[in-house]
Amino acid sequence: MIRFILVVWRNFKEYIILVLLLITSLITLSLNQKPEIKKVRAIAFGTFASVTSVVSNLINPAKLQSENDRLLKVNAELMLQVNRLRNYGIQNAELKGLVGLKDTSDYPLIPATIVSKSLNKAQSTVTINAGSSAGVKPGMPVINDQGLVGIIYSTSEDFAIARTLKNIDLKITVKDERSRVDGVMKWNGEDLVIIDVPKTYDIETGDRIITSEISSIVPVPLPVGFVTGLSKVETGIFNEVKIKPFVDFVKVENVFVLGIVQSKQKNDLELNFFNTEK
Amino acid sequence: MRSDYFISLLIFFPVLVIQTTIVPLISLSGVVPDLILIVLVYYSIRNGQIYGAVAGFVFGLFFDLITGSLLGSAMLSKTFVGFIAGYFSNENKREIYLHSYPFILIVLLCSIIDSIVYAFFSDTDFNRNVLLLFFEQGMLPGLFTAVVSLLVMIFAPKRRFG
Repeated sequence: MIRFILVVWRNFKEYIILVLLLITSLITLSLNQKPEIKKVRAIAFGTFASVTSVVSNLINPAKLQSENDRLLKVNAELMLQVNRLRNYGIQNAELKGLVGLKDTSDYPLIPATIVSKSLNKAQSTVTINAGSSAGVKPGMPVINDQGLVGIIYSTSEDFAIARTLKNIDLKITVKDERSRVDGVMKWNGEDLVIIDVPKTYDIETGDRIITSEISSIVPVPLPVGFVTGLSKVETGIFNEVKIKPFVDFVKVENVFVLGIVQSKQKNDLELNFFNTEK
Repeated sequence: MRSDYFISLLIFFPVLVIQTTIVPLISLSGVVPDLILIVLVYYSIRNGQIYGAVAGFVFGLFFDLITGSLLGSAMLSKTFVGFIAGYFSNENKREIYLHSYPFILIVLLCSIIDSIVYAFFSDTDFNRNVLLLFFEQGMLPGLFTAVVSLLVMIFAPKRRFG
């Protein structure tokens, strides 16, 4: 018997090793959500990111001048916008006082720089140099001056990994800013799309898409992109709305983490709503 | 061969740093060359299928852990690719494969397989046009990686092969 096993091993060891490694990989695929794996991941990317941050700092100074020029322009535009909004704010405060509403517009912004990027067609991620010690938690939105970049997926003490919008594992509830139509947006490997949108819904090319307040991940309106077209219009009763994101994921360098996490209270309420045993 | 395990692992980490910091700067419409795959193919041709599969497994494991992609997806694709690249580890033709144009073709083949297996296991939407999917997720990154592998073909040390 042992001799037979030895003969098989001698003749087919390449294939036996391949099959064993492939089976191990397949088993690992099912372990992604285990807390132990998340801990190992946090240690691994935290250690690695401390190296990439050094390299990233060496590369960045060359780009700082152009980035500074762009930021100066953005600052000037924002200053004009702030003045306008300040007037609206004063009016708004008076009106809110009249109807007894509370103001909920202050969100903490945690500044961060992207130290490494993993760009591929299915699972684009970025590593930023702000982690749990800066108050970053999984689920927090990552933004820049153009709009939503992604969502924090995992954190170590000093670094965090964020899934960009071009990651098939990220699905976000968004809405058409003009027509207020809600839908679920995802990356399908090629385009950013809002899926299963009834053909009767009022969505037009050029419409701005923002995150929806009914989203349990990003409950504040953040710009996402604009509609570039509808697909699957010939068949079925649903459209797929193609979106071009505002953010250029290849060029983005400096970001902010929005210091809010998905509302557990809201999630619990929604879960209770569907819990028929109670 | 045993030292090659350590050398390739030592090379892997600087290459991963370059892959995640500098390579994105030369991306074309979000398509980037896969330097890790080039290293894997190179060492697999040098050392054979078992080496290729094991090295691919280890490279994929670290890649998944460090970049935050679905743990197991790159492990699977890189293991498979390492095994395939190791098929070309023929003692008589090794030098030819590593230092002439076949190396680019092997990298192209491996890169296409890697991209497709990776896309399959990372849950890409297969309701879309399969040909388009093959072109965008297989051919484009494959071609880009193959072009970059030209540098490895030219600058790889020749006298170290026995």
